[in-house]
Amino acid sequence: MATIRIDHLTQSFGQVRAVDDISVTIEQGELFTLLGPSGCGKTTLLRMIAGFNDVESGSIWFGDRRIDTLPAHRRNIGMVFQNYAIFPNLTVENNVAYGLRARKVATADIVSRVETALERVRLTGYGPRWPHQLSGGQLQRVAIARALVIEPEVLLFDEPLSNLDAQLRTEMRVEIRQLQQSLGLTAIYVTHDQEEALAISDRVAVLRGGRIEQVGSSEEIYNVPKTSFVAEFLGATNIVPGIAGGFDGSRTEVAAGGSTIWVDGAVATPGQPVLLSIRPEALRLATGNDGPLLDVRLTMREFLGTIQRLHVTLPSGQPLRVSALGGQTVGATAGGALKLAYDPGQIIVFPAP
Amino acid sequence: MKGFRNSITFGALAFLALFLLYPLALVLNASLRVDGTGMLTLANYTGIFASKYYVQSVGNSITAGVLATIGASLIGVPLAFCLARIELPGKFLLLTLASLPLVLPSFVGAYALVLLFGHAGVLTTAMRAIGIPIGSIYGMPGIVIVFSLTLYPYVLLPTLAGFKAIDVSIEEAARNLGGSRWHVFRTVLLPVVMPAVLAGALLVFIETLENFGVPSVLAEDRPFLAVDIFKLFAGEADSNPAAAGALSVMLIACTAVVLLVQRRYLARRRFTSSARSAPPTLPMSARWRRVATGFSWGVVLLSLLPFVAVMMISFLKFRGPVLSWQLGVSNYELLLGGSYWPLFNTLILATVAALVATVLGTPIGYIVTRHRGGWSAVLDVIGMVPFAVSGTVLAIGMILAFNSGYLTLTGGWLILVIAYVVRKLPFSIRSSSAIVHQIDPSLEEASINLGVSPLRTFVTLTVPMMASGLVGGMVLVWITAASELSATIVLYTSQWSTMTVRMFQFLEGTGAGAASAAASILIFFTAVPLLLVNRRLRRQDGALL
Repeated sequence: MATIRIDHLTQSFGQVRAVDDISVTIEQGELFTLLGPSGCGKTTLLRMIAGFNDVESGSIWFGDRRIDTLPAHRRNIGMVFQNYAIFPNLTVENNVAYGLRARKVATADIVSRVETALERVRLTGYGPRWPHQLSGGQLQRVAIARALVIEPEVLLFDEPLSNLDAQLRTEMRVEIRQLQQSLGLTAIYVTHDQEEALAISDRVAVLRGGRIEQVGSSEEIYNVPKTSFVAEFLGATNIVPGIAGGFDGSRTEVAAGGSTIWVDGAVATPGQPVLLSIRPEALRLATGNDGPLLDVRLTMREFLGTIQRLHVTLPSGQPLRVSALGGQTVGATAGGALKLAYDPGQIIVFPAP
Repeated sequence: MKGFRNSITFGALAFLALFLLYPLALVLNASLRVDGTGMLTLANYTGIFASKYYVQSVGNSITAGVLATIGASLIGVPLAFCLARIELPGKFLLLTLASLPLVLPSFVGAYALVLLFGHAGVLTTAMRAIGIPIGSIYGMPGIVIVFSLTLYPYVLLPTLAGFKAIDVSIEEAARNLGGSRWHVFRTVLLPVVMPAVLAGALLVFIETLENFGVPSVLAEDRPFLAVDIFKLFAGEADSNPAAAGALSVMLIACTAVVLLVQRRYLARRRFTSSARSAPPTLPMSARWRRVATGFSWGVVLLSLLPFVAVMMISFLKFRGPVLSWQLGVSNYELLLGGSYWPLFNTLILATVAALVATVLGTPIGYIVTRHRGGWSAVLDVIGMVPFAVSGTVLAIGMILAFNSGYLTLTGGWLILVIAYVVRKLPFSIRSSSAIVHQIDPSLEEASINLGVSPLRTFVTLTVPMMASGLVGGMVLVWITAASELSATIVLYTSQWSTMTVRMFQFLEGTGAGAASAAASILIFFTAVPLLLVNRRLRRQDGALL
């Protein structure tokens, strides 16, 4: 078990900087997620830690041991691959024993450790089976057992659930999280699925263009995004451009989308162009005269069961998405006028780029 | 990771530099020197362009190449379509037979044509006896016919793979948008397979330029590039290595240009259309199906007929060049009476060459597939150079390079093996690379991640997974090495004579009977292994070409 320290790590492919001067420390026993769209450098960073991509400059440390100079097969890292990478020519138990054999562990030890590992991933008795007899979820469990059995210092997950169907994905992520916590393993988890990242992580790093945009707990990056990119990437937020107006002592007035939107605090100097991030769930259908209101026009309603998504436009034509509870009555049909209420404290302001 | 990659890359580059690039450089060098004094000169080139004979030689080679390429495409493309999309009786057998001409030695086919239609040919004399004169098959017509009928699989196999890879929904979309079947074929199917057709056709063209055996059997006195190079280098009367060098350089230049054009063209046009299952057969009236069946079987049988004829004729008795209708094994007695060694040599050399080429080609194919860019890209290009170099030219270069000094190889068996390995290396590399493509790289990464070094991972995990595919490539090397003539004829010594050399010698002399026996033995040793691994090779489709 170790603290992972990544120090000014850089890697470029031709003109593109896939990983651009990243520094971050991952605490012992933490599940740390690299989240971002494809091409943001998250997989490159993970593969640099595993030793499959070169390190151009910078260093990687496990505790006080520098590992980026070691060849990949001497790093003692467990890795779970996107497509499982189960050796098709070996049985389940031989797949799990593979790393132990490479470490020249005594045969008797191998048997008992393989058994324990399979038990841990709830695959007791599957040892003699062949990979082609297993389902995707089972293969992923074998992959996890194979990575755990070598007692690695660090566990890496490269989009491990992306090949599974939706329901299995939610089950497996709970299992992975429980296993990681019960063994106290330091783990780095790569995903492009924001829900998965929020659900599973101690901390999340949002990556963009090879750089870390923000690091923080799930709640922090969701509720207090530092950039409009983070706000947009985590949950489909509404980004509305506007011009800041006066500060009345507690709120700032912003002219946006042909309306006036109030935001808590002195967020910008008057006249400054800003971007407002308004989460769909921060808007609600006005039931009385409860605080500031927005006049909008309904363009479409999607009923999704527990919630319904309303597509509305501000007077300027700026579209907004609103999440309302499924059971709520919407007092208008498409084309009709609506009033929305909101809490000025939930609107986040970024300076316009 | 890097250490493993670099040692293979630079090891392979060193091998190819020594046994491929260095000899070729010497050929180029020889072409730029005055014979004897060693002064730099362009006279050898101006001499060629001033000589009507050599201009004709270049012209003839290119003409034969173009006509044969058209001929092979006219056979290969319709046949590929029929095999891909029409319900034909005995389709599996047909496909197996259709890939045979690829490995049957083409000069044996040429010789068969001479046996049947030559001056004293079986059919010529028979037809003459009943009063029908037959035109000469020597020269351009015979050469083009033999090339077309033996090289069409180069077009057929990639085109067939292309037709099969077309997702049927593309075709259905075109039909749905209102295209007639013919319109869809012309505007959708043909353009999509065109890169495959072209890739094959250009290989046919290169092969015809380089081929030494067919024109040497059928050209009589007409000049052909590959034959003239050999004569200028090895001829007793008019030996002129410098002029041979100049002609060689021109031959390489021609093939290299064609190869570059092909790569360029293909790089821009990769229509990948990944069909999950092969497109269904076309509904068709019984009459049209009969036409398609007749065409497909007719062409394939026609292309194999000469080989069958040779095998049958080899069991008839010859009196000098004249055939009698008595059965017997006298031809084989004549061929093998002197010694069994040429036969053994053929088997030994081909086996050693196949093993070495596989051992070398497997890691090269792995590296060029897994690591693109940098030195492995250089290796990728140089590894394909042997395709552009005729056996005769390579052999001449090797004689120039290894006739004396620290590394004297001429006169032994090793130089033959090295020549075969270098020439056939592209087969091994392609075969290896085709399988590596199918193995997920994360399997190797998982193994390395679990603590097994890259070299051990390659040997203990990757190679076993590749094994079944490697056998196919190895057999292909074995077959083509066993029937190799153009390099062998330059490099052999009497002690290390091979079946192809014996056959060539009997042809030059009057031993038509013994030549037919040698031809039969070669047919046997090339056809049988191919039929054995045919299924395996089929899985790689056009990948080996």
